This record gives sequence, C-alpha cells and structure tokens, in this order.
Amino acid sequence: MLEGLLVDLVPYGERFKKLEHRWHNGEGWFWASAGDRMILTRSMIERHQQEQAEWHERHGSHGVWFGIQTKDGTPIGDMAVNWMVPHARLAMLGAGIGEPEYWGGGYGTDALLLMIDYCFDWLDLRKLWLGTMAKNARVMRQMEKVGFTLESRVREEWYTDGEWVDGLLYGLLRTEWPGREAKVEELGLRERAANRKAGA
Amino acid sequence: MTVLHGLLVDLVPSTAEFGEKMYQFWNNESRMWATMGDYGPISRAQIERIREERAQAVERGYTGVHFMMRARDGQIIGNIGLNWVDYYNRVAYLGSWIGEPDYWSGGHGTDALLLLVEYGLSWLDLRRLALSTMGPNVRAQRNVEKVGFRLEARERQATLVNGAWVDALTYGMLREEWRGRDVLVEELDLRARAEQRYGTGDE
Amino acid sequence: MIEGKLVDLVPFEDDFATYFEQWMNEESWFRARVWERREPHPEDAVKKFIEKMEKNEHGALIGFQTKDGDPIGGVIWDHEWTRVRKVDAILFVGDMRYEGTDEALDGLLMLLRYVFETRGVHRVDAAALAFDEVRIEFYHRAGFSHEGTLRQHVRWDGDYVDLELFGLLEDEWPGYEQITAQLDLQPSGIEPKPKPEKKDEKKNGSGQQPG
Repeated sequence: MLEGLLVDLVPYGERFKKLEHRWHNGEGWFWASAGDRMILTRSMIERHQQEQAEWHERHGSHGVWFGIQTKDGTPIGDMAVNWMVPHARLAMLGAGIGEPEYWGGGYGTDALLLMIDYCFDWLDLRKLWLGTMAKNARVMRQMEKVGFTLESRVREEWYTDGEWVDGLLYGLLRTEWPGREAKVEELGLRERAANRKAGA
Repeated sequence: MTVLHGLLVDLVPSTAEFGEKMYQFWNNESRMWATMGDYGPISRAQIERIREERAQAVERGYTGVHFMMRARDGQIIGNIGLNWVDYYNRVAYLGSWIGEPDYWSGGHGTDALLLLVEYGLSWLDLRRLALSTMGPNVRAQRNVEKVGFRLEARERQATLVNGAWVDALTYGMLREEWRGRDVLVEELDLRARAEQRYGTGDE
Repeated sequence: MIEGKLVDLVPFEDDFATYFEQWMNEESWFRARVWERREPHPEDAVKKFIEKMEKNEHGALIGFQTKDGDPIGGVIWDHEWTRVRKVDAILFVGDMRYEGTDEALDGLLMLLRYVFETRGVHRVDAAALAFDEVRIEFYHRAGFSHEGTLRQHVRWDGDYVDLELFGLLEDEWPGYEQITAQLDLQPSGIEPKPKPEKKDEKKNGSGQQPG
C-alpha cells in the first residue's frame, strides 16, 4: 500500500499475526516493548489479539496498523499509529522489526519515513510521538537521524534485565519535516537499497 | 470548557430534565423544521429509548458533541451540537433545534451558533463546518448566511415535507472565512437584542 | 443474478471476497468511498465490511462481473431513507483494467436500475472527488445533475479537495432499457483474468500494492 525502497507498508493481516508468536517471544519484542521478556503461548497471543480488536472497536482509538514487508514480500515487522488525540492532531507511533537479521540494514528507517509521510499527508497530523527506553541505542540513533527531538526523559521508567532504565519520548513536528524524498536523499537510502539488491 | 456562555443563551451539558423537554419538542412543530419534515406523535418510552441509544453510541466511538441550549431566563429552549465530527477530514456537521417557538427569531439560535462555531474551530481544531437545512426554512438560511456560511449544494427534492418535495440545502464555512465571534456579536447587534429581551446586568 | 447489457449483478461472495482483500486497499476504493480514512484493510477488516453490508437493512454491497464471469468491482446502495425514498449510490472498480470502460458504466446503470425499478426510490445521491473525472463523466452519462460543491471537504494526499455532489430523480430516469440503448454500450474486449488462487495456496498474499 505504501511503497518504500527496502520495504512496503501493507495491511497488518493474518500473515503478520501468525508471526507474532515468534516475534513476541523473541529478542525483537524486548526492544519494541521497552524491556519486557515474555513467554507466550499461541492461545495467549490469540486471546490478546481478540481483546485488542474488541477494545479498539469499542473505543474508536483511531489507530492505524501496517505490516512491514521486504520487497520480496517477506513480513518482518509492524509499524503503527497506536493511538491519537484527534483534536490535538497528535499521534503515538509504535514499531518493531521482529526478525533480527533485518536490524541495522535501513529497513526500519525506510518504514518509518513512509509512516511519517503517511501521517502528515493523509492523516493531517501536526505532531508525532515515539517512545523507547534509554538502553535502545539503535532507536535513539535512528530518532536523531530522522529528525525527532528528545522531549522527555522519564527517569527509571522501566525495569529490564535487572536494572532500571529511563524512558525516552521523542517528538517530531510537521513543521520540522522536510518530506520523505528529502530524507531519503539525506540518509542515502537509495544507495543502501541498491547495494542491498546488488549484494543479494 | 463544556459550558459556553453567550449573550442570550448558554450552551450546557444535557441533564436528566432534557428527556421531558425532548418529549415536548419532538411532539411539536419544531420537529418538522429541525428534521427536514419528519413529524408524528412519539411516546415518552420511545424518547427514552432514543436517549439510551445515543448514550450507547458514544461508547462505541460516536464523535458528536451536543449541548443543551439554556436561555438567559433559565428556560431550556432546545439543543445544538456537532452531529458528526469527522476528525479525519477535520469537518463537522452542525445541527440545531429550538423547540420553544417563543424563542424563534429572537437571536437565540444565532447566539448559540456563534458559540458552537467558535468551539468547533478553536477547541476541536476543525477546518470546516457544514450544515444542511431544507428549502422552506428561510429563517435558518438567513441566520447561517449572516454568520458566514456559504450555500454549496442544493439537492433537489431531497425530502418530503407535508406532502411536497423540497430541496435540501447544504452550507459550508472554511476556517479562514470565520470572522470571529466578537465581530459577529457586534455586527448582528446581539448585545442590544439580549438587553431588549432580558434587561441589562450580567447574570 | 440480475442480467444487464454488458455486466451482471451477482452476490458479493467467493472470488469477489478474495479479490476484495486487494481491491479494498487500492486507491480506487478510497476514491469511490470519498470520505473514508485512507488506511490499511487487513483480511478481517475486509471480512467485517462484507458482513456489515450483508446485515445492513438500509443498504447492500453487490458484485458486478462481465458476461464471461470476470469480476470487475462492486456497487453499493446505502443509507436508504425510507420515509423520503432516497438512497446513496457508490460504484467502485476493483480490476483497474476496467476503469472508464462501458462495463464499469453499466455497473452504475445496473445499480440505478435496481434502486429505481426494484426498490422504487425517489432520489439517488452520488458524490465524487473533484479530480475524479472518470467518475464525474459517468454520472453525467447516467443522467445525474451536478447539485453543488462542498469546498475542501476531503483529505487527499497532503491536500484538501472539493467534493462534487450529484442527484438523480425518479422522473429523470428513463429506464434501463432506454438509457442503455441511448448510450450504445460497447464491450471493451478485455481478457478475463485467471481465477484467483485458493487462499491457503497463496504464499505471500500478494496484491497489496496499488495497481
């Protein structure tokens, strides 16, 4: 539905939901959930999915869920507006790459740029938020590259792997966003995508 | 910020007493004007059911915002609201209903409309407001035009009123066309009209 | 099935339901639905929409296909207002090869035939985004009158666009036989597409990309 250079954003359907068992029990979820390590059975996940769907239907949360897939159609993660405050035109983004071999290859960044453009151009949002934990150096670096500003540091918000870590909240205003094309240029994503294709 | 103070009316949250008022309004002529020709006797039990359904709709994500209209003399005279807030397109549809004929053409509806427009633009950050009325409702057309709405569509024979087909008129106003409540209060002489009806002195 | 000149109206099921997972994510769907939020529709959302329309007492989703049985898209009548005998009409083309063809136009005419000649409505409402020239042309050919423009009413890719409103009254509808004769509909000669793969054989559920 939204075409990027390394990935496309598509409806978050069964193909993705089936992988949640692997993703949520894996290392990716530790980073995406700010340090939670979960051991979940398939039926727990199904029940959770069911409850989520019902909750969103009842509450009209305005959420939007995309699956991230590579150009050859392999599902690797998710990219979402988890909730928004319509009258403030503010949205909280959430994302995760469930397949560790796709970390650090520009896949997540490519997906994020698509999502930001979508949020501004189609949803007419004014501001985006994204939260992570202070241990997540990869996301912190990504936030800076993409142009988010660190807006708040909640001290010792998360308990993970035996220690307290700070929670970080990053924000991006629409007025600060140069557009996806400009960011793709700036970050050299086109070259990275070409190299990846050549290497594959 | 749910009570909006005007000069002739206040817009306040709906209370339990509104059920009885609604019963009265839905059974008098005002219903025909507000609903584009819908008319007919309706029982208290039906009104109660409608109220319950509306309360439940809110839980299911219905985005409307409704106010009761209370005149300066304390009378509940009607209701006004955003029947549908489309947060995606940042548009809302206004609806207004004065159920007490004694309060027609006294400026109450205009006063309420100014409050609601300001609320939609300044608090909900909408960029456009729209409303529909029917051809025979000349009073409503005059009122919304004075406030700055523009006629955008005339749907021919869109509703049946007392055995005749009449047009539905849709009006729209963009955010940048809104001249502000203060300017319009002056221009429409609402302060004087309020004084004339209710005397001087603040409430 | 209701048989028309170039297309037939059929229940929206089987292959239609399969194709719909793709169609409902394409731009043409959002152009037809005018004020719906552009958002991804995974399988369960697609299924839920079909179910909702099946239970809808004031509307329905109906498939239309060529005489060879090639699914083209769907037509929707909705928000039927019984007291006033008024209904909204929506045409969407799923298989974009048929965009602007007489088959697609016939889909719209068949919908009008159904609402006027079977449901007995007095008035049909239709809308189009201002840049959707193909749709507007269809409305004109079907006999609709342009009744107004809701300014900057709909969000579309970084901008707000006007929404054009159209109406058609029962005494302006000449009847299906007459209007199709008058318009001299011609088949486009598009080759029917192969039947969709069965769901479980599908590897990556392709087809989310716009056509």
